[in-house]
Formats: sequence, C-alpha cells, structure tokens
Amino acid sequence: MTTLPTDPAETVAPALTRTVDRPRRSTGKRPLRVTTWYATALFICAVMIVPLLWMITIGLKSRNAVFEVPPRLLPHEFHWQNFLDGPKAIHFPRLLLNSTIITVLSVLGGVMTAMMAGYALARLRFPGRKVWFYLFVGSMLLPGVVGLIPLFQMYKSIGWYDTWLPLIVPAFFGGNPLFIFLARQYFLAIPYSIDEAAKIDGAGHLRIFVSVMLPLTRPAWITMAILAFQASWNDFLNPLVYLYSAGKWPLSVGMAQFVSPFAGQTPNWSYYMATNLLYMLPPLILFFAAQRYFIQGLGSLGSTTQK
Amino acid sequence: MNRDGRSRGGRGGFSRNAGSDVKAAYLFIAPAIIGFTVFVVYPLVRSFYLSLTKYNGLTDPVFVGLGNFRRLFTVDPAFWPSLRATGYLVVLYVPLSLALGLALAMFCNQRFAGVRIVRTLAYLPVVLPAVATITLWKFILNPQVGLANTILDKLHLPTSLWLQSPSMSMPSIVIVMLWGVGGTMIIFLAALQAVPTELYEAARVDGAGPYAVFFRITLPMISPIMLLQVILQTTAALQTFNQPKILTGGGPGFSTNVLMLSIYNNGFSNLGRIPQLGYASAQVWVLFIVIIAVIALTAKFSSLWTYSDNTPD
Repeated sequence: MTTLPTDPAETVAPALTRTVDRPRRSTGKRPLRVTTWYATALFICAVMIVPLLWMITIGLKSRNAVFEVPPRLLPHEFHWQNFLDGPKAIHFPRLLLNSTIITVLSVLGGVMTAMMAGYALARLRFPGRKVWFYLFVGSMLLPGVVGLIPLFQMYKSIGWYDTWLPLIVPAFFGGNPLFIFLARQYFLAIPYSIDEAAKIDGAGHLRIFVSVMLPLTRPAWITMAILAFQASWNDFLNPLVYLYSAGKWPLSVGMAQFVSPFAGQTPNWSYYMATNLLYMLPPLILFFAAQRYFIQGLGSLGSTTQK
Repeated sequence: MNRDGRSRGGRGGFSRNAGSDVKAAYLFIAPAIIGFTVFVVYPLVRSFYLSLTKYNGLTDPVFVGLGNFRRLFTVDPAFWPSLRATGYLVVLYVPLSLALGLALAMFCNQRFAGVRIVRTLAYLPVVLPAVATITLWKFILNPQVGLANTILDKLHLPTSLWLQSPSMSMPSIVIVMLWGVGGTMIIFLAALQAVPTELYEAARVDGAGPYAVFFRITLPMISPIMLLQVILQTTAALQTFNQPKILTGGGPGFSTNVLMLSIYNNGFSNLGRIPQLGYASAQVWVLFIVIIAVIALTAKFSSLWTYSDNTPD
C-alpha cells in the first residue's frame, strides 16, 4: 500500500466525464449475479420513477376520483383537459412569467460577475488576490441562514421588500462563491500563451475576456448557468420571505401556497399535479439537454486543488 | 475599449503592464468584492448584534445582552423541542443518506448494460424543484388516498399515518429527503471512479474478498470525500426548511418544528404575530454555532479515519 497515487480528492471529478469502466468483474459467466443486479436496478428505477408516474396519474384523474378509497393506480377515465384547466385555475401563466423574469436575470448576473471575478483571480496579478480568493471560498461554508434577518431588514429599509430586487440584485454582485471558484479553476487551466498572444495583437483585458476567454470557457459558464437556473427556479425560502403580494410570487411560492394548510378548502389535486408537472418541465428538459456540459463542468471542480 | 487596449499594448508589451493589470483586476473583481461586503460581511456582523437585542423590525433595536439566549434556553417551551427535532433529523438523515448514497454509487459504478439509465433516474429527483417534489410526496403520504399506504396495503404490510403521526412525522420527512439521495450518490460515484484500478487488480491477485476490498481499499481511498460529505450533509440537514414547512408546518405537536422553521416563524411569519427579529437572530446564532462546531469537530477528528498519502512513513 505504499505506492498509493495522489489524493483521490484531487482527481475525483474528471472521472465523471469518463464512462463507467471501473471495478470490472466478469459478468457474463454469473447469471445469478446478473439477475440480482437487474432486480436491484429495477427496484431503484421504480422508487425514483413511480412517484412521478403517480403524479401524472393524479393529473389525469377527475377531481373526485383522486379521493377514491382505495385509490386506483390508473385513472378510470383520462381527463387531459386538466393540463389546460389546472394551469389556469392556479394562475400558472402569471407565476411562470414571474419565475422566468427572476430566473433569467439572476442567471445572467450570477454567471457574468462570477466569470469576471474568476478571470481576475486566475489570470491577473494584483495585490490581495490570494486573500480575496480565500475569503470567497471561505464564504461558501457560511450557512445562508445567518444573512436572512439582516438582509431582510436591509431590503426593507431601502424599499425592496415585496419586489424582485432581493432575488436578482445579489446575483449581479458575484452572488454565488461556488461559481467564482469554478470560474477561477477553469481560467487557470487555459495556457497563458493565449492571452500573451492576444496582448501582442493589442487586445485589452475586456477584449481578451470577451473574445478569447468566454469562448474557451464555454463548459464552465454553461454549467454555472444550469446551476444558477436550478437554484433560482427551485428557490423557495427567499421568495417566501421577500415577496408578500401573490401577484409577484414565482412558481415555487405560488405552487406551495395551493397545498398549504392555510389555503382554506381542499386543493384540487388533479389540477395541482397537472400543473406541478409543467413546473418541473423546464429543469427536466435542461437536465437532459445539457447533461454533457453539466458533467464536464463538474469535472473541473476536482482538478482544482493542485493549483 | 478597443482603441484603449490597442494603445496600451502598443506602448510597451505586457511586461510593463503591471499597473494596468491591477486596475483591470479590480474592475473585474469589484462586483464580487462589493457583494461579499454587502451580502456576507455586513449581515454576519449585523445578525450578531441583533441577536443581542429586542427588535420587532419597526422600532429601534433595544440592547438586551444575552437576554434572548437566556429566554431561549430557560423560558421558551418550543426551543428545546425544536433543538431535539433538528438533532433527530440530522441523526436520522445523515447516516442514511451517506450509506444509501455510497451503496447506490457502488451499484452504479459497475459495468452493466443500462447502468446509465439507473444513474440518470437516481439523480433525477435532485434536479426537480423542491416544492414540486415535496408537494408530490405530501400527497403520496396521505394516509387515506396516498400511494404509500396503497402499496403497503397491497403487500399486506402495516400502513401508517405518516406525516400526521407524531412518531412517524420526522421519519416521513427523512424519507422524502432521501428520495434525493442521488445528490450524494453522484459525488461518491466520482470519488469511486477516481480510485485507481490497479489497486483493485492487486487486491484480486492477493485473493482479497469483497469485504476486505471495501474496507481496505474503497473506503480509505474515498475517505476525504466522505469527510466532505459528512460536513455538507450535516450542515444542509441542520438548515432543513422546505420539507417541514410544506409537509407538516412543524406539527403534529412540535415533532417536526425544526430550528429553521422556528426561526422563520419568529422572524417572518405573517400570521398576525409581531416579528421578533432579535429573538430569531439569537436562534440563528445557536444554529450557526452548532454548524461551526460540526465542521470543526469533523475536521479535527478527520485524521483518525481519513486516508491521506501525505502522512510520513
């Protein structure tokens, strides 16, 4: 055991980009093993997928059929209309618009400012660059709850309570330290001869950043954009705290409200589940569409500690 | 910018550009520095000050020293139950999440047709919005018409009141959280794939059994990631909010009234109560200190059980 290679933490994530090729064991010769594997695999898949199928089933049932005892696993008759009526009843279009505006802006701000900070930290020499790097990385460990009350008060005192600003503006100020970290790691991996060449050609830093670095770091900022999208689209606590008027709610708060114990009457679960599916759809599509970038980007997280 | 950059380049190449580098660097990093000051440092200091005051958000904060903390630990009937609920959640969730996540990762690290499908499906719940999945589970765990009891009933197993039963409410919340175990899995999977194949080959040559391989190679090799996971999962579990807020509202009784929910209710709830922001800040600081302690203790004792090739031999 003396010839163990480098610390696994250092090489962890690049491995994600690889397809599975590890502990290889002979499979074909052991039918029992194969059967056990597939039985387990089937079980795992079922646990993950059945709740979602159940959601679709409810979305297709009539309002009253949902409350049948014992419940039917398949709807008696299919109410496709729920997918049109449900969203209307739940003010889905309004909530969707709100969510979209908040998410698009905070993705834009978060990715842009993190990339800028990462560029400075990785490729420019300036006094204090180590200090700022450690401060940003250290702030990743700080639990979000600590800022909750003072920030709430701060926003309230400058008139931002019940507006979208608290959900958007912080993103334009390097909102997520993880992104700064990720950006820096990516920039470190780019050969310095590239910007030297650009400088000889007469490009300034802004020029180098926009025309040379951004195309080279595509996987990094696409990954960040996906993560930022999910964080904003899925966020529940912040909009819940900062938004009072129902007309300004994003989908997360609006959807939760319909099943809240304080909402009054029993929610129309068929409408709700049909709409819930629509709420899930954008992150779902994004996940499947951008899997490649997502995994590449995570890969850079691991190759980090050496530098 | 174009002209500016060109003239600068023309003047003297990049070796003499140290000064403009500094200026550019601070322009690039300025948003992040402002953000760090305004959204991290200021709230940290301010929240500590507020924890020592009586403050309703309308009139000025009144300094009360450690009064909030005294009230928390000695007077408030809801504080100890909320601390207990939080502890219970952590003790139940963290080990299960790590064990299941690792098991799932080891399962998905094998070479079989269809393994990518399993991996993708296991990770799927992580990408879905928390509110969407939690409300879905609220309905699944409905005792009368939910899927959970329907399946248990069909299998002739005992059913449960789930979220409505004081003894099952917290385990139910943990079940809902564990549905997202794919997040833990994906990190373990990356760690497992980084373990050099030679080690497994050497072990096989030496005739090591699966248990020896697991405990003497796999576990030591991924122990730094395990450490990271313990810290991440514990701090995340300590700050659990969405599940109890949406599933139970803290009930029945105080059984799921975790600290975060209590902080939210004291500080923000619009149920006609006066917000107690100073008091809620004191609770925040209790939670914060617990989190720091967890991180410090885990890091301190990590050398006992994590493998590192830096150790001199």
